[in-house]
Amino acid sequence: MRIRTTREQHIFRFKTALRWIIYYLLIFISFIIMTSGTLYKPVLLVPLAVGIAINNNLYASAVTGAICGFLIDICCGKLFGYNAVVLTVFCIAANLVFELYLKDRFINYIIITAAASFLQCWLDYKFYYQIWGYEHVGRIFRRVSMKIWLYTVISAVFVFLVLKLVNRLLMPREHLTIEEAINTNIQTENRR
Amino acid sequence: MRDFLKSTRFKILLGFLAFLVGIMIYAVTKGGYSVSGASFINTITKPFRAASNGISMKMEGTVDKLSNADKYYEENQKLKKQIGELNAQLTEYDAIKAEVEELRKFVSIKEEHEDYMLSQPCGVLGYVTNDPFKSFTIDKGSADGILVNCPVVTAEGLVGITVEVSEHVSTVRTILSPDLSVAAMASSSSADQGIIEGNVLSSESGQTKLIHVPKKNKLKRGDLMITTGTSGLFPKDYPIGTILDIGFDSNGLSVCADIQPCVDVTRLTSVIVITDFSGKKEEDKDED
Repeated sequence: MRIRTTREQHIFRFKTALRWIIYYLLIFISFIIMTSGTLYKPVLLVPLAVGIAINNNLYASAVTGAICGFLIDICCGKLFGYNAVVLTVFCIAANLVFELYLKDRFINYIIITAAASFLQCWLDYKFYYQIWGYEHVGRIFRRVSMKIWLYTVISAVFVFLVLKLVNRLLMPREHLTIEEAINTNIQTENRR
Repeated sequence: MRDFLKSTRFKILLGFLAFLVGIMIYAVTKGGYSVSGASFINTITKPFRAASNGISMKMEGTVDKLSNADKYYEENQKLKKQIGELNAQLTEYDAIKAEVEELRKFVSIKEEHEDYMLSQPCGVLGYVTNDPFKSFTIDKGSADGILVNCPVVTAEGLVGITVEVSEHVSTVRTILSPDLSVAAMASSSSADQGIIEGNVLSSESGQTKLIHVPKKNKLKRGDLMITTGTSGLFPKDYPIGTILDIGFDSNGLSVCADIQPCVDVTRLTSVIVITDFSGKKEEDKDED
């Protein structure tokens, strides 16, 4: 890694701080949207937590997942801590999968978000409805859980765009990707 | 991946997860009262949620008007017809009104419920996100004398019960929920008793269900169901809803009925919590 000047270090810190402030502002706005109105709504905090997790370090991902989970517990009236555990695991897994196997592409993000959101909806249905054996409980899965999942996946597109914009403007780049390094070398040789 | 599983950061994350599970277990032991973290967040976000919910309700109202214009037109025509019929009945009602006014001298609502201890009117902060049984949060909590398992009502009838109470916010479970059972009887005959309990199918249309009614009963459509007060959770003789349709349970051993609640629990703006009433079950005494 190349050595940074003091000014560059200041800019790095400022951008990082501003980025996290915006992340948490987005989390707060999503929470407020989720608590409003009477209609079924997407669980916006799931795509947001996953989106933040795939672009940041492991510990920050875990903490963000836990915070988003706590907020989901509050607005959805679930046991305090239940979604925090679920979302922390999802965020750690998403971070590791993107670090080790996947590239930061839209399609990968949508697949991971869809899987995480489906699991969250399914677990919610299992623990809060099916386990109690209500009559016609399957209707809740078909008419409520699946609807919420679909809304969440659709909303993930917009969440991705917003996060992409924030990251493009404020994500400090510590090193070049392999493609960028090759392109830079080619350009340098061409100039010579 | 193997390196990660053996690494220190994996152990740290496991520790963090164990901490979260600890919080979850602690929340279970609180028995309906919010963990201080949740209570703090509820208090901080209360004004934002109230403002945002106000905007959202207005927007939903506008969308509702636009999308259901045909339905409202039909409803309007139907209502005009009903007005004609009601005008005819008005003459009859005038005679009854005179009689009722005479009776009102002796009985007033306050005298009828003089044993009730009521909370301040509570505003509905918002409905619990994606709950099919329409649980909602109100802007009063333990600081206003509200406890877990207090009945929540409006002037028209029973709405539900408080299930989670923090300092300034409480969550209410409605009578549409299968997790809330209310002993009920017909206002016309106390012999016709049953249990009012929510149901997945009924809740979709804002209705609830009367179950476990003996086969020999005198219930009929339009009968008003009221609370029996036997459980000690709800005051006696409070209206719940009217019978829409009567049939047999799936096992054929008892009768059930569809109930239209007196209150439209899907569109509430304010409610009142009954904090105390005569015949209330006192948990501490029971435990002793």
